[in-house]
Amino acid sequence: MSVETIVDAQNVSRVFAMPAGPVTAVRDVSLRIAAGDHLAVRGPSGCGKSTLLHMLGCVDAPSSGTLRFDGRDVAALSDSARSLLRLRQIGFVFQRFFLLPMLTAWENVELPLSEARVPRDERRARTRELLEYVGLGSRADHRPSQLSGGEMQRVAIARALANRPRLLLADEPTGELDAATGAQIAALLDRVNADGTALVIVTHDPSLADRARRVLAMRDGRVEQDITR
Amino acid sequence: MNAVGFAWRSLVRQPARASLGILGVAAVGALLFDMLLLSQGLILSMSDLLERTGWDVRVSLDESGPGRGRSGVINQVSDVLADIAALPEVRSAIAIRFADARVEGPGGEAAFAFVQGVSDSARMPWTVTRGRDAAGTDQLVINDALATTIGAEPGATITMRPSCEGDSDALPPVSFQVAGIADFPFQETGEGTAAGSLAALSRACGGNQDDKAHMLLVTSTGDADAAAAMIRRHRPGLAAISNDDVVGRVQQSGFTYFRQISTVLTTVTLAFAVLLITVLLTVSVNQRLGEIAALRALGFSRRRVAADVLSESMLIVGIGGLLSLPIGLALAAMLDRILKGMPGIPEALHFFVFDPSALLIHAALMTATALVAALYPVRIVARLPIAATLRSEVIG
Repeated sequence: MSVETIVDAQNVSRVFAMPAGPVTAVRDVSLRIAAGDHLAVRGPSGCGKSTLLHMLGCVDAPSSGTLRFDGRDVAALSDSARSLLRLRQIGFVFQRFFLLPMLTAWENVELPLSEARVPRDERRARTRELLEYVGLGSRADHRPSQLSGGEMQRVAIARALANRPRLLLADEPTGELDAATGAQIAALLDRVNADGTALVIVTHDPSLADRARRVLAMRDGRVEQDITR
Repeated sequence: MNAVGFAWRSLVRQPARASLGILGVAAVGALLFDMLLLSQGLILSMSDLLERTGWDVRVSLDESGPGRGRSGVINQVSDVLADIAALPEVRSAIAIRFADARVEGPGGEAAFAFVQGVSDSARMPWTVTRGRDAAGTDQLVINDALATTIGAEPGATITMRPSCEGDSDALPPVSFQVAGIADFPFQETGEGTAAGSLAALSRACGGNQDDKAHMLLVTSTGDADAAAAMIRRHRPGLAAISNDDVVGRVQQSGFTYFRQISTVLTTVTLAFAVLLITVLLTVSVNQRLGEIAALRALGFSRRRVAADVLSESMLIVGIGGLLSLPIGLALAAMLDRILKGMPGIPEALHFFVFDPSALLIHAALMTATALVAALYPVRIVARLPIAATLRSEVIG
């Protein structure tokens, strides 16, 4: 079956200028992510997992190598074009959720739809659908402070899916949760992937990584293992 | 949710911070509003006062302004008055003479008063509020302050010992009947004033001060400047100035100090407002860097996150600015009372006068304040490195 490539990274490296000298966080990584992929990136702290994720999500640019999203060279895009790309094509889920505390669950989910100028009726329908999808239809009017950690992460996943992204990036999505709640979030992410969204998860959690069809093991900025099951 | 709605939620999220900012802006805005009222108030009030009297040209020996221009005496004033009244640019004219006097009431209470004697006219430079106007040579009107001090009401007999030009101490006391109580446009706060006909004042001055005056008040037929110019040409020894000239001179001389003070204080208050809002917004933005970086990662543009911060600044300044108006007006009323307590200030003159242009300038300056105050925090969010911020938030 022919699968459509979403992201194509070729020999990407990321070097940070530090007072003590340059630090290479990611070295010569080549990676292709296609529609429907389920990929986990694991490795010890500081191995470059999150930096790779940020480059795949177009919030950071490689110091060398090329990164193409939908065939377009990301380095050639303006900041506003990259913002628009992220808004419409990429979803982010963070370890610390980063929900806006002054907004309700509904408003948090609706926010990316507003930014994408989705018409009001469509926006409301999509927000309702997403909250139902993550099992929080009855908590729409609750603020983050009134939700548990697992519920907050579910709202964050709904928010990330708002504009129907083709790629969902999750950075330690269960890092702040207990094992049982983490398993629920992992199951939800599996479902997102099964419904057609390509998923890349950066995690320390072996049980979460084991759910992926492909696992990259990183060390010192390099991909040590690339296992497809 | 648009940027303004988002900014409103951000404000409500931290009510203490928002209240502090809004109250700070309200205080600064009130001071700014007062400075703007002060910067034009005296001129507007002076202009209004001069217009209210109904005379638009003042003639004296030495360009005396309104009120008690006392420096030179115009002799043979009836001839001068007739000459000036006959000019085509002049509708009417009166002569007015001033003196100081010790006035004693029916119960023996005494006070010093400023006395005016005015040539016969259908219209006098005062407004009778009780009783009737003075008539003949043995009646006077007095103001409320003098009436209260010496305990005299309309119908009472008072005794006056004036200090007239040249014969100050030798004059015997003269009795007058109080015909009425009057308001004088240029009376000073608490100062006693008495007035009557020129002949009445002449009687008080021993009858040897006839046909003299300190000032002529002229009503032009429409063009006060042309009337003043014609009087100067016709009577080269006299100085004639229009109300506009008086206001212009006040503006150029003593009022410059008020304007300079107001400019300095305006600049200082605005600088405080900018610092206050900049600090509050910067603290707020720094507390939310992770959220802002997450929003950027989710596709919010630089322009959008900058608009959020700018809207927050505009909301703080907008709400504070609205609150500042009633506070400023109340403060202006209080300061006006204090300033009017200075000696030599006419009671009807105000230092703080509301003018619609002050509102517009206030709004423009407050808007500029919001924009300038938002510059630094806007720069922070616009230049926020998304990946580095997300990384540091997780590590932190």
